[in-house]
Amino acid sequence: MQAIILFGVLISTYLMVIAKRSTSLIRAFRYQSFCLFLATLIIAFNEKQLDLYIVAGLLFVIKVLAIPRYLYRFLNKIKANEDLGLFINTQLSLLFALGFTYLAWVFARRLIVSDYALAAIVPAAAFFMVLIGIFLMIFRMTALAQIIGLLAAENGLFLLASTVSGGMPFFVEIAIFFDVFVSVIIMGFFIYRINKLFTHIDVNKLSRLRG
Amino acid sequence: MEILFILGAPLILAILAFVMKNKKAAGIINAISYFAVLSCALLLLKRCVLSECRVSFFGFIYLDALSAFFIFTASVVTFAAALYSIGYVNKDVKEGVISGRRAGIYYSLFNLFCFSMFLVPALNNLGMLWVAIEMTTLISAFLVGFYNTKKSVEAAWKYIIICSVGIILALLGTILFSYAFAVSGVAKSLNWTDIAQVAHILDKNILKIAFIFILVGYGTKAGLAPMHTWLPDAHSQAVSPISALLSGVLLKMALYAILRFGFIIIKGVGFEYFGNLMLLLGVISLVISSGFVLVQKDLKRLLAYSSIEHVGIISIGFGLGAPLGFIGALLHIFNHAVTKSLMFFTAADAISVYKKHNINAIRGVMKALPFAGVMMLLGVFALTGFPPFSIFISEILIIIAAFLNGSYFVAGLLLICLGIVFGAFIYHFGKMLFGNLPKGIIPAGEQLSAKFAYLVLLFPILALGIVLVFKQKDLIWIAQKLFQG
Repeated sequence: MQAIILFGVLISTYLMVIAKRSTSLIRAFRYQSFCLFLATLIIAFNEKQLDLYIVAGLLFVIKVLAIPRYLYRFLNKIKANEDLGLFINTQLSLLFALGFTYLAWVFARRLIVSDYALAAIVPAAAFFMVLIGIFLMIFRMTALAQIIGLLAAENGLFLLASTVSGGMPFFVEIAIFFDVFVSVIIMGFFIYRINKLFTHIDVNKLSRLRG
Repeated sequence: MEILFILGAPLILAILAFVMKNKKAAGIINAISYFAVLSCALLLLKRCVLSECRVSFFGFIYLDALSAFFIFTASVVTFAAALYSIGYVNKDVKEGVISGRRAGIYYSLFNLFCFSMFLVPALNNLGMLWVAIEMTTLISAFLVGFYNTKKSVEAAWKYIIICSVGIILALLGTILFSYAFAVSGVAKSLNWTDIAQVAHILDKNILKIAFIFILVGYGTKAGLAPMHTWLPDAHSQAVSPISALLSGVLLKMALYAILRFGFIIIKGVGFEYFGNLMLLLGVISLVISSGFVLVQKDLKRLLAYSSIEHVGIISIGFGLGAPLGFIGALLHIFNHAVTKSLMFFTAADAISVYKKHNINAIRGVMKALPFAGVMMLLGVFALTGFPPFSIFISEILIIIAAFLNGSYFVAGLLLICLGIVFGAFIYHFGKMLFGNLPKGIIPAGEQLSAKFAYLVLLFPILALGIVLVFKQKDLIWIAQKLFQG
C-alpha cells in the first residue's frame, strides 16, 4: 500500500515538471498533497496516534482543499496569462527530473543510517520533491509557479520529517502548517499587486533593481 | 519575567496602533513603550550574565546570556527606530505620501515585526525558531513593499521568494538535526537544550550535512554572500526606519540561529568544521560587498552593501573562534546594529530633503541639515572603524584574533577590504556632505524625534568605544560567559 502511495507521489511530482499551464500545475500539486495525506493517514492508522490523525486532517483541509482553491480563484480574478513560461522545455525538464531522482536516491542512501537498503526510499522521494520544488521556482517565469514550487518543496520536507525523525513535535507541525498557509496568502497578495502595477506576473521581467 | 513584558508590549502596541485615531499620539506611545522594553532588556541582560537565567514555560522559552544579548541589541535599535518613526511617519502623512489609515497599519506592522524579532532569541524549540524567522520575513515583506510602487513591490517579491527558498533549506537542515537526534535513540525532541546536551554522541556525518543546509538557509536571511541578492533591494526600498531594523536586527537574528546550531556542531563535530565554513562565507561576503560599495550610485544601496560587508566581518569573527574572535564578533553585532541604524536614519533625512536616492543628486547635506549632517559624518567614521568609535574596538579584536590564530591571509584580506570600503565611503560621503546645495533645495527644519534618535544611537557608539579600551579583562570574562551558554 505504501509503495503505491509513494509511486503516486512520484508521478504527481513528474506531472508538475511537465505542466505547461497554471491550472495543470495546481492540479498536479493537489494530487501530490492528496498522496501525502494518504501516506500520513496510514502512518496514523499504524501508530494509532491522535496527533497524526489531526495532522492528516489539516493536511487535507489546507493543502488539498484550501490552497488549490484559493489559487484557482485567484487565477480567475487576475485574468493572467495561463502560460507558465518555461525557461526549459518539458522534455528537457523531464530529463532533469530523472537526474534529480537519481541524485536524491544517492544522497538518501549515504545519509540514512540503516542496515536495510530500502529504508532510504521514502527520504529519497522527499529529497526529490524538495529538488523539484526549487527547480520549478528557478526555471518557471510566472510568480504563481514560484508559489507552487515552494509548496512542493514544503511537501517534500513534510514527508521527510514524518519518516526520518518520526514526525515533528505536534505544535511545531501545527505552527509550520499555519506558517505555510499564511505565506501563500501573503504571496498571493503580492502577486495581486504585481499584476495591478505591472499588468503581468512574469517574474523574469521584474528587473528595475540592479547592481 | 522581563521576557513576558518584552514579548507582550509589541503585541498590545500593534492592536493599539490599529485602533487609535490620533496616529501621532500612537507614535509617541510606541516610543515610550519601547523605552520600557529597552530597560527590561537591560535588566534581563544583567540577570543572565551575572547569574544563571533559564526561564521556561513548559520548555518553550529558554534564555541564556547569548539570547539576552541579542534581545538587548534588538531593543536598542527598535527604541531608536520607534523614536525616528514619529517624525518620519508624521512627515509622510503631512505630505500626503501615505494616508492616516496607512500610518496606523505601519505602526501595527512595525510592532508585529519587532515582536517576531524579540521572539527569535527567546525560543528553545528549533522548529519554533524556524517558524519565528519565517514570521519575520512575512511581516517585513509588507514593510518593504509599503509604498506600493513598482520598485518596492518588486523588491518585496524578491525578498519573500529568495528568503523562502533559503528558509526551506533551513527547515531541511533542522529536520536533519532532529534525525541525527532521533537516530541516537535518546528521545523525540526538537529542543535546543536536549540536543545540545547529547551533541557529542550524535552521528557526525548527518550533523555535517545538516549544518551546510542550516548555513545556506539562514545565511540567506543573514545576507551572507553569495545568497545576499535580496538584501540591497529590500533595504533600499523599505520604509527607512525599517531599513535600520532589517539591517541592524533581522540579519543578526539569522546569525543567532546559525550560532545556536553552530554550538551543537562545535560540540559534536569539532570547532574546525564550523570555523572554516564561517570563515569561507565571511570572506566571500567581504570581498563581494567591498567591490559593490565602491561603484554604488544609490545611497541606501550603498549602506545595504556595507551591511553585507559587516555581516561578513562578524562571520569571520565567529570563524576565528574563542575567545577573542568570538567576543569581537558579538560586539560587532551590537556596534554594527547601532551604527548602521544611525546611518540609515541620516540617509533617510537627506533623501527626504533631496527627494532622490542617487548619490550624485545629493550635495551639501551639511548646509541643508546641520544636525543630521554632523551625525552622518560621525556615522561614516564610526562605520568605517575609526577610533574612538565602538566599531574600531570590535574590528581590531577580530584582526588580532586572526593574527593570533595564524590566519594571516584572512587578516590581510580583512585589512585590504576595510581599506577599500573606507576609501569608498569617504569618497561618496565627502561629496554628499560638503559642497554647494543644488538649486531649488530649501534647508528644511529637522524633526525633534529624529534628533533624539540620533543621540540615543550615538551614545552607545561613543561610550563603548571609549570605555572598552580600559576594560579588556571584563570583556573577556563576559565572552567566556556567553560562550558557555
